[in-house]
Amino acid sequence: MSATATAHADIVSNVWKLVTEVGAQVSAGDVLAVLESMKMELPVHAPATGTVSEVLVAEGQIVQEGDPLVVIEPAASSSGPAS
Amino acid sequence: MTQLDAPPVLDQTSGQPAGRPHHRDVLAQRRQERTARVEPRGRRQHTARERAHLLVDEGTFVEISPLRTAGPSSGSGVVIGWGLVGGRPVVVASHDAAVASGAIGAVFAETVQRAQRLAIDRGHPIVYINDSGGARIHDGIHALHGCGGIFANNVEASRRIPQISLILGPCAGAAAYSPALTDWTIMVKEQGQMFLTGPEIVRAATGEDATADEIGGSGMHTRTSGVAHLEVDDEEAALEAARGILSFLPSHVGGEQALVEPVPARPEAVARLPHVVPDKSSIVFDMHEVLDGVLDDRPRLELSPEHAPSVLTVLAHLDGRPVGIIANQPKARGGILDAKASVKASRFVDFCARYGLPVLTFVDVPGFLPGTVEEARGVITQGATMLRAYVEAQSPVLTVVVRKAYGGAYIAMGSRSLGADFTWAWSGSEIAVMGPGGAVALLHRRALKDAEDPEALRDELAAEYRENVARPYLAAEAGILDDVIVPEETRDLMVQALGVLAPRTPGGAA
Repeated sequence: MSATATAHADIVSNVWKLVTEVGAQVSAGDVLAVLESMKMELPVHAPATGTVSEVLVAEGQIVQEGDPLVVIEPAASSSGPAS
Repeated sequence: MTQLDAPPVLDQTSGQPAGRPHHRDVLAQRRQERTARVEPRGRRQHTARERAHLLVDEGTFVEISPLRTAGPSSGSGVVIGWGLVGGRPVVVASHDAAVASGAIGAVFAETVQRAQRLAIDRGHPIVYINDSGGARIHDGIHALHGCGGIFANNVEASRRIPQISLILGPCAGAAAYSPALTDWTIMVKEQGQMFLTGPEIVRAATGEDATADEIGGSGMHTRTSGVAHLEVDDEEAALEAARGILSFLPSHVGGEQALVEPVPARPEAVARLPHVVPDKSSIVFDMHEVLDGVLDDRPRLELSPEHAPSVLTVLAHLDGRPVGIIANQPKARGGILDAKASVKASRFVDFCARYGLPVLTFVDVPGFLPGTVEEARGVITQGATMLRAYVEAQSPVLTVVVRKAYGGAYIAMGSRSLGADFTWAWSGSEIAVMGPGGAVALLHRRALKDAEDPEALRDELAAEYRENVARPYLAAEAGILDDVIVPEETRDLMVQALGVLAPRTPGGAA
């Protein structure tokens, strides 16, 4: 599986906290970022196990529903869900 | 002109014309021809007839007019009949993709309508096993007329009996509309598809280049469009899901509720219930943990789990009674209401109310999602359908606010004003016209502008608002809430409420 996995914003929101960076090893389900919308802190989870290859947003940035946030290069022997 | 045969010479022993096969053998031969197994193509695992048999309790399927045919040796293209599901009669119509790709011709349509008539007239659920490429072009207007007749029966049936659609192959055009008129649609992953027009025609008409799965795959329909409500891995799982849904329902509107043995909530979940909701109001939690601590410890069936996931729609049991759950899910998009969630919720409330299932509403809603996107999606109209559904619901409606309920979303989530029979709020919850942040900004605009430290003043005013304005006691004192309660009282109150709203008859029916 060579395709990358991308974590998206699922709601219009403000990127409140980024808790990952390019090169970080993550497991499927790990929190990558926390969005703030409707006075709620909404964690964004890693869609796959692997290495963070791209962080597409900065803290404080407004994102729309569906915007890509973080791209993960899945680990070769990953047992996490594919993209 | 047909030449008439010479009068037959009778065989003295059997009474049969000599040299002809015995009539019993003719019948056996015809039956064998009609039911001969055609190996399923592609990812299909079973034939149309096998699917019908597998849906119902073993050995109970009875086929209706198996010899019906649209032409020499073709069959009608659909296997119809009935069987028992959990001991109760259920009518089945199973498309036969081995006959002209399941195309709906005049005879096919007439056969489906025969099954629909039986189900509607006798008050039994019907399960459609769909695997059809759409209207049969050779039958022209007769095919369209037949499809329309199926749709009309779907609509008539929707007021009377549960209808479930399984999508076990590509279902195009007319074959996609019938499921949309039924209660619940279940699709098999990478096998079932639904679209008005397939990839070739899409390309020809607009130039768009898209795969069948992109246009109408189970992932798209169960997540984005909401056209289908469950995505499963294979045919067995689809049949099992249909049986599962039916197990919560009466056979027809006004029928006996499908009561089961009451069991208490799971003890660990009950012990955890007072601690599920985080102290800090901005932190998310999993509403399923609340449901675990209140409902019977039996398998629940969540419908549309991945479409508009900020609102949960779940079939479950409380004290042995089937109930429908509407709940905000804070861990998905904060539990907001939006256009899609409103449609999902209103459809579910309508469904539960039609079949007499109590609607239990668990509220933790930050509001309707504001903004250009939602307004352009028509959130006013879609949100209003939720109001309409609750107001029209004739079955018992019980509502509990577990953390917060603000503004229009408070009203929409089964409030007293929309006709809830009983309403409660947990003691830590907030109910107000708007959340503390927004309210303070509006009420104290001038003071905040002039303040030396607006941040500190805002926090102070918000805390004050939370304590003095948003607490549920105002609503309870006004009679808009029936009581302020602690989480562990929820189950007993709901059970007692159903006891007076829909008492069980001595025979056991609700």
